[in-house]
Amino acid sequence: MQDAITTLINTSDAQGKYLDDSSLDTLQEYFRSGDLRARAAMTISANASTIVTKTVAKSLLYTDITGPGGNMYTCRRYAACIRDMDFFLRYGTYAMLAGDASILDERVLNGLKETYNSLGVPVGATIRAVQAMKEVVNDMLGAEAGKEVGHYFDHICSGLS
Amino acid sequence: MSIVKQIISNADEELRYPTPGELEMIRSFCKTGASQIQLAKTLESHAPTIVERGTRKFWQICPRTPSNSGSPRKTEAAQRDMSWYIRLISYCLLAGNDQPLREIGLLGMKELYTNIGIPLDNILQYLRCLKAEAIALLSEAEAEAIIPYFDQIIQELVRPGPSYFGIKDRSVSQSASQSARQAAA
Repeated sequence: MQDAITTLINTSDAQGKYLDDSSLDTLQEYFRSGDLRARAAMTISANASTIVTKTVAKSLLYTDITGPGGNMYTCRRYAACIRDMDFFLRYGTYAMLAGDASILDERVLNGLKETYNSLGVPVGATIRAVQAMKEVVNDMLGAEAGKEVGHYFDHICSGLS
Repeated sequence: MSIVKQIISNADEELRYPTPGELEMIRSFCKTGASQIQLAKTLESHAPTIVERGTRKFWQICPRTPSNSGSPRKTEAAQRDMSWYIRLISYCLLAGNDQPLREIGLLGMKELYTNIGIPLDNILQYLRCLKAEAIALLSEAEAEAIIPYFDQIIQELVRPGPSYFGIKDRSVSQSASQSARQAAA
């Protein structure tokens, strides 16, 4: 995985150079938003289970998917679903803190779509749920931080679709 | 490699969110970001002078060394290596930890210089000269943030015991000396 700082350092090191002005500007921008990111991560981590509950209530709970024949029917499958939602939220938070989506690509999205397809997990419903999570988090954090995290939920969705 | 990456990796290892303490570390590091960038720029601007003066001082202390053997190529390579170490220190200032220096510059450092036939003691003297020149050029506050990284490189060279890749070699040489002793007996 990478983060905004490491990416800039690696790029410069590969050229044997100090960070140039535009890299330093990018870095400065990341540092400036550090407070926002850390606060957002604090709020998410304190409310993680609430966020997942609200997300499921908003997107999945009252649809056919939780009834007999649906993919969230049986407690076991329901539990598997909220576990995955938990993962999306945690890795989305990591990526937001890092200012870089590569941790999502490497540790979440790599092979996920294939896994879901082979298990028969409906990808469309998953994407709907991640979008709902984005809204729940946005409501909780406010627009500025919400946008920062939302970017990475969108990244998960585009990786699944 | 940065402090942020380190914290995220640790958290992920344990399937948890970063703790409030870890998030506070990220916050306070980001708060010092502007001054870290300034420090890195200052170090970069002094780097050529540090290397040039440090090299002259090193040759006074240690005249018989490959970089002072009259081969421009060796001189250039030595000065280039030293300026690389300064560049890695500038990365550390921006990353908030010593990992860029360790990962890029310190792991395997002894093996490299041993392999190309440069006495480690000369490298050590060279770095001490650079450190002294850096101290002379930097303000007290700048030196406080930067010099510990010079010390870390120096420590890497003076630290006794097996080096990063040395453990296997050492067991080989031990068994070689054992069989030599057996042969003598």
